[in-house]
Amino acid sequence: MKYEPVIGLEVHAELSTKTKIFCGCSTAFGAEINTHVCPVCTGQPGALPVLNKQVVHYAAKMGVATHCTVNQLCKSDRKNYFYPDLPKAYQISQFDVPICENGYVDFEVNGEPKRVRFERIHFEEDAGKLLHDEGDGTIVDFNRCGVPLIEMVTRPDIHSAAEAKEFLETVKTTLSYLEICDCRMEEGSIRCDVNVSVRPMGSDKLGTRVEMKNINSFSAAERAIEYEVNRQIDVLEEGGQIIQETRRWDDSRGKNLVMRSKEDAQDYRYFPDPDLVAVEIDDVWMEQIRSEIPELPQSRYARYIKDIGLQPKEARILSDAYDKACLLDAGVEMGRVDSKAIANWILSDISKYLNDKALELKDTKLTAAKLVDMIELIEKNVISGNAGKKVLVQLFETDDSVDVIVDKLGLKQVSDEGAIQKLVDEVLAANPKSVADYKGGKKNAIGFLVGQCMKASKGKGNPKMINQLLSKTLDQM
Amino acid sequence: MAITRENVEYIANLARLDPKGEGFDKIAEDMQGIVSMVDQLQELELGDITDVIDTERKNAMREDVPIPSYDKEEILANAPSVECGGVSVPRVVE
Amino acid sequence: MELYQKTAAELSAMLKNKEISSAELTKAAFARTAAVEDEVGAYITLTEEKALADAAAIDAKIAAGEELSPLAGVPISVKDNICTKGIRTTCASKMLENFKPPYDATVMDKLYAAGLIMTGKTNLDEFAMGSSCENSALQKTRNPHNLDHVTGGSSGGAAASVAAGEVSIAVGSDTGGSIRQPASFCGVVGMKPTYGTVSRYGLIAFASSLDQIGPFGRCVADAAMLADVLRGYDKMDSTSYPRAYDSLTAGMCADVKGMKIGLPKEYFGEGISEEVSKAVLAAAETYRQLGAEVVEISLPLAKYALPVYYILSSAEASSNLARFDGVKYGYRAESFDGIIDLYVKSRSEGFGPEVQRRIMLGTYVLSSGYYDAYYKKARAAQRAIRADYAKAFEQVDVILTPVAPTTAYKAGEKTSDPLQMYMGDICTVSVNIAGLPAMVQPCGFDSNQLPIGMQLIGPRFGEQKLVNAGLAFEQASGLCNIVAR
Repeated sequence: MKYEPVIGLEVHAELSTKTKIFCGCSTAFGAEINTHVCPVCTGQPGALPVLNKQVVHYAAKMGVATHCTVNQLCKSDRKNYFYPDLPKAYQISQFDVPICENGYVDFEVNGEPKRVRFERIHFEEDAGKLLHDEGDGTIVDFNRCGVPLIEMVTRPDIHSAAEAKEFLETVKTTLSYLEICDCRMEEGSIRCDVNVSVRPMGSDKLGTRVEMKNINSFSAAERAIEYEVNRQIDVLEEGGQIIQETRRWDDSRGKNLVMRSKEDAQDYRYFPDPDLVAVEIDDVWMEQIRSEIPELPQSRYARYIKDIGLQPKEARILSDAYDKACLLDAGVEMGRVDSKAIANWILSDISKYLNDKALELKDTKLTAAKLVDMIELIEKNVISGNAGKKVLVQLFETDDSVDVIVDKLGLKQVSDEGAIQKLVDEVLAANPKSVADYKGGKKNAIGFLVGQCMKASKGKGNPKMINQLLSKTLDQM
Repeated sequence: MAITRENVEYIANLARLDPKGEGFDKIAEDMQGIVSMVDQLQELELGDITDVIDTERKNAMREDVPIPSYDKEEILANAPSVECGGVSVPRVVE
Repeated sequence: MELYQKTAAELSAMLKNKEISSAELTKAAFARTAAVEDEVGAYITLTEEKALADAAAIDAKIAAGEELSPLAGVPISVKDNICTKGIRTTCASKMLENFKPPYDATVMDKLYAAGLIMTGKTNLDEFAMGSSCENSALQKTRNPHNLDHVTGGSSGGAAASVAAGEVSIAVGSDTGGSIRQPASFCGVVGMKPTYGTVSRYGLIAFASSLDQIGPFGRCVADAAMLADVLRGYDKMDSTSYPRAYDSLTAGMCADVKGMKIGLPKEYFGEGISEEVSKAVLAAAETYRQLGAEVVEISLPLAKYALPVYYILSSAEASSNLARFDGVKYGYRAESFDGIIDLYVKSRSEGFGPEVQRRIMLGTYVLSSGYYDAYYKKARAAQRAIRADYAKAFEQVDVILTPVAPTTAYKAGEKTSDPLQMYMGDICTVSVNIAGLPAMVQPCGFDSNQLPIGMQLIGPRFGEQKLVNAGLAFEQASGLCNIVAR
């Protein structure tokens, strides 16, 4: 029998606020153990939470960007359970009235359009970190306690590991477009739990669902889903039944193991947190949030293919990277140079430079205006493409204008016909063999001669003009 | 509502209390009387109850501005067991 | 007249006139405490060294001619569920027997800023759960009027410290009557302010939506003066009201002419002892003679306040007290097998039976399958009770009721039956459910010479009305500044 996997995800993203959700401690990653702590985030007796406004703003922003209904009146609830990384023994989260509900994201999987719906998005506090020492103990680091998270819960709209991976990539890109999450996977700023069931192909009944936890990367999510889908199909094929349970994914061993069964399902005793008051996003605030939503990747992707004529692959690279897409759009907006040329520079030399130096665009001094200035000089034959590469390096690293750089480096091309004709004549006189080859029908001998001319001009000769004059002179000989 | 021993053990487990602890039998016994007392509320007719958000107070929020954290030593001073700069507990597997 | 018999207002005047120094006053307070504390047992911790240092600092400021707030230099006791940095804060529980908070509660900041001299931390029912102070795991407090009787609770130590003249004023907390009922039992004045007007930051929570810190004194003016220090917006407490807090002392006026005082018939029926009813009705008569209009009113949902209170307060308590798990602070069992066993043993050994009872009840009413019938219903009933009061305050300025069904009972009389103990809260809990202010003051004595208290309930933010009505009665009755022993 053929089976169809039915998958839902719960994605947790750490919001890139400066301070924690309920206190003024820093959210910075990687600090020394228990240094970003205070009475509030370590659950000291008597300490009280005060909600960080930015958390509400960011969570609502994600909701707007994913077509959710934003509940302009919402509240905070306590989720009660005991665990050493949860100092208050309850997590402040949202239960029956999350800040956002009923949204979706669109993306492509192997060129096919796909939509995954969101059931809800809510804000909550992160737990601390448990560190295991060499002995038989566990040590609690409270630094992460109270770092703000949004939890995004999808409908079971995903039907393959590949779809899950593309969905996660889309969520990540959206978060980075909105500038509400650092998206540093290695720091765990995006994590997910996966719900998997399978059903006979064509059936519309949902199978028994298994939840998987401890998934630390998108590729791990892909592997974990593949594994679980196959495990469930095997169980069913052997006449067995799927048990509703939570399993822990072990990525290094490529398998999952039972963590807890349905019987010890938690009774979280949610109730409204009496230490916090209702959150109301009025229309003015809502409008502010809406105004901050940039054009999103899906739309830019389509536009890059249609308007600029990029290949889907190229369009995807640019639209996935918010900063590069913004650079491209700002350059295109100026309307002075060929849009595709800007895209090509970003895709090739700019990307290579950033990769090599492990930098982000914002770490450099490059601006769209200067990039366009530089491309314009190439288009007008003032400098060569090669010279452009040298200029670009200076644009990353200095505040100089393109003109200043071109002057400083002496990169201006020689486009004086008389001077170039003189060069051509000299080169032809010095290379009789190549001239003979050319005349003898080896037309590609001209390449060598162009190179000699460029060399003689110290790289500054206008290559187009050299080519033209060489051909003309040779043909006249 | 009648409180069974099963109820009591389920609740004790959620609350991380020991139903076999000293004096707990009395607590379990008292539960029935207390629950009967609070059950008086059931006779009160309030019509359709919806969980409404209390809007008497709204929007007590802070700006996203850092405040210096406490010293580790101050926060850990009361911990029954500290190792390597953190509170230490028996090994937790999960 | 001895120093310990003076009111805070009188002591404040003496300090201002340089008739006495804060150091002398503080020494006198500890001398009085040494004399009566063996019998009364109001304190869990005395902080004499710090108090004397603080008093010396205030004296230096007085000498330097600094402008100080009215209560600067006056000794005060603080209930031991309010966090004091570096000073043991136990909640009268084995769980927190050695807990020294890393920070001061906002009210402590306010007391210190106003120059008050903290003498120590007073006894309470463990985690403020109880009505007799007998649930303390660390100390036994007795009623200064009769040592065989209870002080009431949970702020029994605070009330006793004021009644016995150890201090003239004290800070307590009130979740369902924890300031008012011991004030009544000990013959002192106690005020539960409007919810949200005194910061809860640093008050170790029992039931967050009901808890409120408030003042004790032996006269209305002292309670008002202390309330002025305690009240105010705090950005650290999301439930704190950002509004103007006018001085109650400045607004004091002992005139009740034309004031409308409501007597809710539901508070004078079955279950309330005749002596108590009589004394409160006599107070109503006094008001009538003073020119107030006394009218009978009805609070039809009054009888549901008790179940609503026990559901909501226990539900919140079960969550608030979950953090006491033997991990970060407080009691940890000596031996355990794994993390769950650590939790279970630490909590079972660290919490007393009443605390465990409330945690059990609270966990039950929030648990799957019971939430709607109990917690959700209680929240709906809470809204109905609030509406009841709102309607009543359309007719009257303040409401006058008994505080408790009886005067202070004998120690041990109700400890075996928690339900009977809970019934004693029927007159006080609805005030917390509705978030209203209420003040208690003595209105007579019973046949055993034990004080009887009366309760004035005001509309939200109506503290000034309570103070004025209380002051008028106090002046007319002369029932003021009663020092026992």
